[in-house]
Amino acid sequence: MVLEHNHDSTKDLNLMALPSLFPCEGQSPETDLRNLSKFCQAVTDGLPLEESAERFIHEAMEVIIDEAVKKATDVKEKVCEWQSPEQLKELLDLELKDGGESDSKILQRCKNAIRYSVKTSHPRFFNQLFAGMEPYSMVASFIIEAVKTSLYTYEVAPVFTLMEDAVLKKMMELIGWDEGGDGIFNPGGSMSNMYAVNLARYRLCPNIKEVGLYDAPRLVMFTSQEGHYSISKAAGLLGFGTKNVYVVPCDNRGKMIPLALEEKIQLARSEGAVPLLVNATAGTTVFGAFDPVDKIADICELHSLWLHVDACWGGAALLSSAHKHLLKGIHRADSVAWNPHKMLMASLQCSAFLVRDKMGLLQRCHSAKASYLFQQDKFYDVSYDTGDKSVQCSRKPDAFKFWLMWKALGSTELERRVDKALAMARYLAQEVKKREGFRLLMEPEYANVCFWYVPPALRDIPDGPELWRKLHTVAPVVKERMMKTGSMMIGYQTHGDKPNFFRMVVINPQVSKEDLDFVLNEIHNLGKDLR
Amino acid sequence: MANTSEISSDGGTLDPALRDLTQPLIDHAEGQLFLNEAFKIIVEEVLRKGTDAKEKVCEWREPDSLALLLDLQLRDTGESQDRLLQRVRDVAKYSIKTSHPHFFNQQFGGVDYHSLAGRFLTEALNTNLFTYEVAPVFVLIETEVLKALRQLVGWTDGDGIFCPGGSTSNMYAMNLARYKLFPEVKTKGLWALPRLAIFSSPGSHYSVKKGASYLGFGSDSVISVKVDDGGRMIPEDLDEKIELAKSQGIVPLLVSCTSGTTVLGSFDPLDRIADVCDKHQLWMHVDAAWGGSVLFSKQHRHLMKGIERAKSVSWNPHKMLLAGLQCSAFLLQDTTNLLKRCHCANASYLFQQDKFYDVNLDIGDKSVQCSRKVDCLKLWLMWKAVGSAGLEQRVDKAFIHVRYLLEQMKKRDGFQLVSTPEFVNVCFWFIPPSLRGQEGNADYQDRLAKVAPVIKERMMKEGTMMVGYQPLGDIQNFFRVTVFSPHISHKDMDFFLDEIERLGNCL
Repeated sequence: MVLEHNHDSTKDLNLMALPSLFPCEGQSPETDLRNLSKFCQAVTDGLPLEESAERFIHEAMEVIIDEAVKKATDVKEKVCEWQSPEQLKELLDLELKDGGESDSKILQRCKNAIRYSVKTSHPRFFNQLFAGMEPYSMVASFIIEAVKTSLYTYEVAPVFTLMEDAVLKKMMELIGWDEGGDGIFNPGGSMSNMYAVNLARYRLCPNIKEVGLYDAPRLVMFTSQEGHYSISKAAGLLGFGTKNVYVVPCDNRGKMIPLALEEKIQLARSEGAVPLLVNATAGTTVFGAFDPVDKIADICELHSLWLHVDACWGGAALLSSAHKHLLKGIHRADSVAWNPHKMLMASLQCSAFLVRDKMGLLQRCHSAKASYLFQQDKFYDVSYDTGDKSVQCSRKPDAFKFWLMWKALGSTELERRVDKALAMARYLAQEVKKREGFRLLMEPEYANVCFWYVPPALRDIPDGPELWRKLHTVAPVVKERMMKTGSMMIGYQTHGDKPNFFRMVVINPQVSKEDLDFVLNEIHNLGKDLR
Repeated sequence: MANTSEISSDGGTLDPALRDLTQPLIDHAEGQLFLNEAFKIIVEEVLRKGTDAKEKVCEWREPDSLALLLDLQLRDTGESQDRLLQRVRDVAKYSIKTSHPHFFNQQFGGVDYHSLAGRFLTEALNTNLFTYEVAPVFVLIETEVLKALRQLVGWTDGDGIFCPGGSTSNMYAMNLARYKLFPEVKTKGLWALPRLAIFSSPGSHYSVKKGASYLGFGSDSVISVKVDDGGRMIPEDLDEKIELAKSQGIVPLLVSCTSGTTVLGSFDPLDRIADVCDKHQLWMHVDAAWGGSVLFSKQHRHLMKGIERAKSVSWNPHKMLLAGLQCSAFLLQDTTNLLKRCHCANASYLFQQDKFYDVNLDIGDKSVQCSRKVDCLKLWLMWKAVGSAGLEQRVDKAFIHVRYLLEQMKKRDGFQLVSTPEFVNVCFWFIPPSLRGQEGNADYQDRLAKVAPVIKERMMKEGTMMVGYQPLGDIQNFFRVTVFSPHISHKDMDFFLDEIERLGNCL
């Protein structure tokens, strides 16, 4: 640290007249080094964890615990401290300069970063499909940051390699793959969905890996209108084109209609295209709907299609004996995407991709056999070098964040959390139905509760275009007001021709009934004057 | 948050799980206690011992015995805090100390405490970088850091994003080049396009090939351009290969140049490659994941002369700059919003257009990811703490270290360079005494190939240090040591050479 703050030494460095990068015969490097003042003292002395560094990291941790952990989870504190981008830029003093800053200045910057960041672990943060603070997972993520390694070889990440394997196995057990399978953790569920598409393509025509798509028949994949947008992004990135994603209609609960899937498959066939993959969703983003996986699996079997289940959001229900029926048939899937960083509250990111194949398909599809990393003459079993299963090179050991919290809580406690979240969602739905001015879009199947708030001035307008037009503007204004007061955060969106509505997502086991009551009261307070 | 309110009267009519809805399931006091205790272990075992030259770099265990030690199985019931703290200690003990001064195994290593604080803070705040709404501070910081990195490249304007690793950045470059030339590919796929070719050197990173397969081009579409003795792409050969592809009816799309190849640390001659790209209208991408950091150094940035002529650049500050894994920037010269147009899906549940702030700050649709980690804070905080000048010093110091190491190797017998280092990679063979002077023997190469793996095995089993080895083309196994951590001293490099001799002399 002393080393970094001694900027005078830069001058010395630049003054060095080095004839070439590397010394000629007879020129001792020591001669140059003598000129390098304090900054290079470390060259000869070495730098263990210095006192000042240790003091700084302790002080930083104190700030983090006080402000980003304790205050951030305190219901009496604000969820967010809204500033306009222009103001916030000023407050943060973003510019990066030549000179460095003192540790106390850096600690102040940490405090500012916390102050103006959204407190996603606050009990009144309901804005995304993640929320809450899971202390064990957070500790695991701190360890990962301190240990700082990349998950590609056993050599450099022995502990995390084994833990990833253990977590994947346990997740596969819950899916119901009695004979096991394969898998990997990815930077997000979108990546997992893309892996499914790539594996399906590789299984069908392995030589696409070398010769590309040009001579292959046009390949088509199927997803429901409620499926996550990453399937479309996958089609763009992987060279299929978004038009080769055929969108299957849903019923009024947001579930894929199997008959409609059958029709779309026939349509693709009749056009001369080759159906490749069906993406079924277990827990859609907006409504939390579950596609009928069992029936879809029948169709996939009939047509020999790859069945992928995007259970990023809904996978957690597999831990609950009361709710796992939602995913009935998932064991028939060829692959599953499941993000423990959502409902199960592992720290971001924690996204598993699971494949039923046990014959090395994942490795064969993605491998490049880099000889500098995956040497075959190593002294241990190189099947533990799992990195070539990924399309990434450096990869974070995300599984550990799930492993440690699972060890701490056990499956039983994880199950309780899922059960509680779903019970909370049902409670909220009941309240919405009870209260004047609130209208439920549909009964929740999972933890998503979608509803409109109708301000008093609009309550006498009959259902129809005028009401929809006016209602459409309500949620954005209420959202703006809640963010500016910092009292809570909830998402809103349109859907088809439906005007803007709120989507509450209940995950956080620290949320109480009181918090849910507060949300409905607060929406009314913030929106009652709207007309 | 203690919540002591009474269960409401309707609690009885609801299902049993609802009865405890007033009771939080998470005990934050307990969690914070655990956090405090675990943090002590992190400081003692990972940060203090993990950077102490007198401690081991690794505590080798065979996978089977390590699996037993770690008791990996996940069960129905949870465990006590004491048990969990022991688990934290085990993880620290059996993990590789990548910040140790004798860890030379990868292109990351060392520790920067400001960046580490930024990483802890990022983890505690646990958010996603897709909208200003949910990550206001980080949207602005990412924008600022990207701007500062672009300035070092030499662009006054442009675009960019942080990716989960340099491989992803390289794939983004391919996808953008393809979309720029044939926008219809996004909707219609590759079937609507002519055959395309990508050019890179054999020393380029394997992600170019992985990317070509993943994006549907096929790995055969990567055409290998010859390199000179120093592993640098030969522009004349590139020109010829492009002409050849054209004559075969193939459309040349992109050249992926490398600034700092993985093994040798070579820098392709960007300026001359840019001339060829201009001539043929190709997208010039520079994979500077490893070498990009020389741009901080007035003395060494000449290695990347011509970088400002690139269309896109990958640069991983998690490597030489010690920002912490992962910190990978993808930088673009484009000012027409190409990145967003290429990747966007306009999800209406996330990127609502009727928000009350400027929705251009919702940068998430530029990515092919949905949730995306905050990788900018750690770099920004470190950069604020040491300044550009401090980062420049780190780079310059690494070069000085390499010079010292080379000088010492020259003084000793048995160390033979594979090529003259251009950067901070030093590639060499260690020739044990029994093999010296036997270059002419028929089995020399075979015997030499076995040296590095055995030395590596011995160093890991003793835990004294870690350094990588590899073959390259038809060149037999050699060591690659990368020297860049500011915590390394002359003593550590002397130790490195002594240790290779000690472990390998008897072979």
